[in-house]
Amino acid sequence: MNGITRLYAENDVLANNNVDFEVLENEIHAVVGENGAGKTTLMKILYGLERADSGNIVFKGKEVSIHSPLDAGRLGIGMVHQHFCLIPEFTIAENVVLGIEPLKRKFFFDSERAVKNVREVNEQYGFQIDPALRVSQLTVGQMQLVEIIKILYRKADLLIFDEPTSVLTEQQINRLFSTLRKLIKIGKTIIIITHKLNEVKEISDRVTVMRKGRVVAVKKTAEIDERELSRLMVGKRVIFQFERDPMPPGGVVIELKDVTLREKGQERPLLDKVNMQIHSGEIVGVAGVGGNGLGELEDVISGLREVSGGVILHNAEDITRLSSLSLRERGLAYVPQDRLFRGSSLQSTVSENMIISNHHLFLKGGVFKKKEVQAFTDELTQHFSIDGDTKALIATLSGGNIQKVILARELATRSDFFVFSEPSWGLDVACSEFIYSKILEIRKQGVAVLLISSNLDEIQGLADTIVVMYRGRVVCSFPNTRDLSRELIGEYMLGLRDDYQKIS
Amino acid sequence: MVRKKLSSVFINSVGLIITLGIAFLIAIFLIFVLSSTPARTIYYFFIGPFTNKYYFGNMLNTAVPLVFTGLGIAIAFKSSIFNLGGEGQVYSGALIATVVCLSLPNANGYLGGALALISGLIAGSVLAGLSGFFKMKWGTNELISSFLISGAVVLIVNYFITGPLDDPGNSLLTTCAIAEQYHLLKIFPPSKLNISTFFGILSAGLVFFLMFYTHWGYEMRMCGLNREFSRYGGINVSTYLVMPMALSGALHGLAGGISILGTYHMCVKEFSFGMGWNGIAVALIAKNHPLGVIPAAIFFAYLDAGAKAAMLHSDVTFEIAAIVQSIIFYLVTAQAIYSFIKFRKRAPA
Repeated sequence: MNGITRLYAENDVLANNNVDFEVLENEIHAVVGENGAGKTTLMKILYGLERADSGNIVFKGKEVSIHSPLDAGRLGIGMVHQHFCLIPEFTIAENVVLGIEPLKRKFFFDSERAVKNVREVNEQYGFQIDPALRVSQLTVGQMQLVEIIKILYRKADLLIFDEPTSVLTEQQINRLFSTLRKLIKIGKTIIIITHKLNEVKEISDRVTVMRKGRVVAVKKTAEIDERELSRLMVGKRVIFQFERDPMPPGGVVIELKDVTLREKGQERPLLDKVNMQIHSGEIVGVAGVGGNGLGELEDVISGLREVSGGVILHNAEDITRLSSLSLRERGLAYVPQDRLFRGSSLQSTVSENMIISNHHLFLKGGVFKKKEVQAFTDELTQHFSIDGDTKALIATLSGGNIQKVILARELATRSDFFVFSEPSWGLDVACSEFIYSKILEIRKQGVAVLLISSNLDEIQGLADTIVVMYRGRVVCSFPNTRDLSRELIGEYMLGLRDDYQKIS
Repeated sequence: MVRKKLSSVFINSVGLIITLGIAFLIAIFLIFVLSSTPARTIYYFFIGPFTNKYYFGNMLNTAVPLVFTGLGIAIAFKSSIFNLGGEGQVYSGALIATVVCLSLPNANGYLGGALALISGLIAGSVLAGLSGFFKMKWGTNELISSFLISGAVVLIVNYFITGPLDDPGNSLLTTCAIAEQYHLLKIFPPSKLNISTFFGILSAGLVFFLMFYTHWGYEMRMCGLNREFSRYGGINVSTYLVMPMALSGALHGLAGGISILGTYHMCVKEFSFGMGWNGIAVALIAKNHPLGVIPAAIFFAYLDAGAKAAMLHSDVTFEIAAIVQSIIFYLVTAQAIYSFIKFRKRAPA
C-alpha cells in the first residue's frame, strides 16, 4: 500500500488538507490527533464512507477508487467504528453475516449455517464467544469483538479501528491488544485511530500525527516518546495533572436511599439498593465497568427512568418521581453519555441544540427573541471555541465540538447539581482538560457533581469521593487520597473483591 | 453558508423540474394513446385551467381547503405524529359548521359565521386530539386510531346528512342550504373563489410563525426530531403527542367549515372526500414546510382542474383523466419523498 493524497472540504472546513498517508503491509499503524484533526475523515475516505475532493488511493500497488464500504469490502478493507453498528435484537451470528447471509434453497435464511460459519471464524482466530448469543446481552468489549469478527468474516486484510479502546476497561483493552497482535502474526494490516498515547506506544509499529487536517509527523513508534507525541499533536506541552484545592464539605444536595431498578422478567436488579450522598462542592466519582449499573444510575438520577424502589432526595425533598422537566427547574444540569441521541438532536441546528435546556429564558409571550438567542449562542460558541456555524445542523460538527455544545449549554443553566457521564469519552487531551477545568470550576462554586466514568484517570484526578459499582451495587466508597491505589479500585470494579463494609 | 443553502434549494428545484418534465411527457404520451383528439385534450389538460376566469378562479378555490389540510398534516409530520384521520375531521368540521348555521338562521353573518367556523374547527380538533390523548395515555398508535376514528365518523356524518338533517326538497343527498348572510364574499366572479383564500394564506403564515418563531413550535419540532433529546432537555414530551394532533385536526375541521361557508353552502353527502388524503400529498410535496404548502396545493388543484376541463372539452373519460392526473402526481410525490429520505440519510453522518 503506497502513498495517498487527498484534499477534502466539508462545510467550508478543510477536514483533510492535502494529506499523504501511508501504511505498510503487516504493520500496526497508529493515527493520532486532536478532535477534528481529520483522522476519522481520512479513514472514512479510505473506507468509502466519504468521498475525497481530490487525491487518489493506491492499494497493494494498484490505484483504486473506493466509492462505498462495499467497494472497500471487496478490496479487503474493513472498519470498526467508534459507535458500533450492531443490531441488539439479533444474535452474534446474525449480525456477522448480515448482508452476505448464507441461504437455504436460495431464499431462506440459514441460521444454522450462519452459526457454523461464525464458529469457524472464531476457531481460526482463537476467539471464544458463542455466536448464538444475543448482542444485547454482551459487554462493550464483546460487542467490539463481534465487529472484528464481522470484518474477518468478510476476509479483510486491512482493518481500521476508530478509537477502539475508548469504551473498554483495562482488562478488555489488554485482550483487544492481544487480538490485534494475533491478527498481525497471520499477516493482517491494522490502522488504529486513538487519543491515548500510552496505547500508541504499547501497540503500534509506526505512528502518523495529524493536526488541523494535515499530517505533521510520521514516525517509528520506537523512536518517539509520549511527551514528544503530545507536543506534536497539540502543538504545546500537556500537563497530565489537575489541581484540586481542598474544599470544606457543604451540605447534602443529593441523597440516594436504597434506590433499586428492576427490569421486567429479570432476576437481578439493574440497580440494587444504591445509597449515595453528594454534598455541595463535592465531586463524587462513580467508577465501574460497562453493564454494571452506571448507565442506569445516570438514567434514574436524571429522571428519565422511573425507579422501582427507594427514594432520591434533593435538598431533603423527595424528587424520586419528578419528571426531567421539574428536575431541571430544581437545578439539575446533565451531560449525558449518549451525546448523539440524548444529548443532541442531530437534525437540528447548533443554535437549536444550545437552547434546549433553557429556551424558556428567551421568550416573550411565547415568541423567541431571536436577537437574544443569537447573542447567547454566539457567546457560547466563542467562549467554548466551538468550531462551526450556529445555523448549521449539529450533525456537521465533529464529535468533540458536539460535546462542547452540550457542555456549554449545560454550564449555562443555573444549577446546584450536575451529572456528568463519560464527559471526555473519545475526546482529545486538550478538549478533556478543558472539560476537567470546567468541572473543577463549578465544584468551586459549590455545585454538587456526580461524575460517572469508566476512565479511572478521570475519576482519580477529579473526584473527592470514589464510588465503585459492580453488578448494580455500590461495592466500595472511599475518600480520594493519593495513596488510594488504582489496582484496588480495579479489583472492586471487576468484582474481585467484595469485602467492603459500609462504614456510615 | 447562504450560498450553500441557495445551491441546495437550486438542486432540489432542478430535481423537481426534471421530474415534472418526465411526468408531463408520460402524461402526453398516454393522452396520445388514449385520446382520439390528443391535441385538444392536451390543450385542455394543461392550459384549460387558465383559459377563462371561471376555471382559473375555481382552480384556486379548490386549492384553499387543501392549504388547510396540507398545513394540518405538515404540523403533525413535523412533530413526528401521523394524522391519517383527515377525511373524518374535514367532514365532521363541515357538518358541525352547517348545523351551527342552520340552527341560527337569523343571526348576524359575521358573528354566526365565525361561530360556525370555530365550531367546525373544534370538532376536527377534538376528533384528532382524541388519538393524541390515547397515545399519551395508553401508547396506542395514533396512525391507526386516527384512521379508525375517522372511518367511523364518516359514517356517522353520512347518517345525519341522509337522515335527520336531510333536505327533502333537494334531490341531492344533502342538508338544507345555509342562510345567505353566511356565504363568504366572492372575490373573483363568476368563479367560486372567495375570501377564504386570504384565510388560507394567513393560516400558512401563522403556522410558519408558530413553527419557527415560537416556544411551542420549537418544542414541537424538537420532539419531532428527537423525543429522547427533548425529554432530556426538560420538554414535557407527552403534551406534544396531543397538541400537534389537536392543531392538525383544527386545521382539518376549518377546511371543512370553510368549504361549506365559501363554496358549497350546504353539506352534500361525501362532498369533502379526498380533501384529507390530498392534504397528505400536499404536505409531502411541500416537504412539510408551511409556506411550501400553498404552491403545492395550487399544483394539486391545477391537476384537478386540468382533468376536469379535459373531460368537459374532449373525449377523455373520467378514468383516463384520473390516470393521467395520478401519474403526474405519483412521480412528483415520489420525488418529494426521495429527496426527503436522502436528506434524512445524509444528516446523521
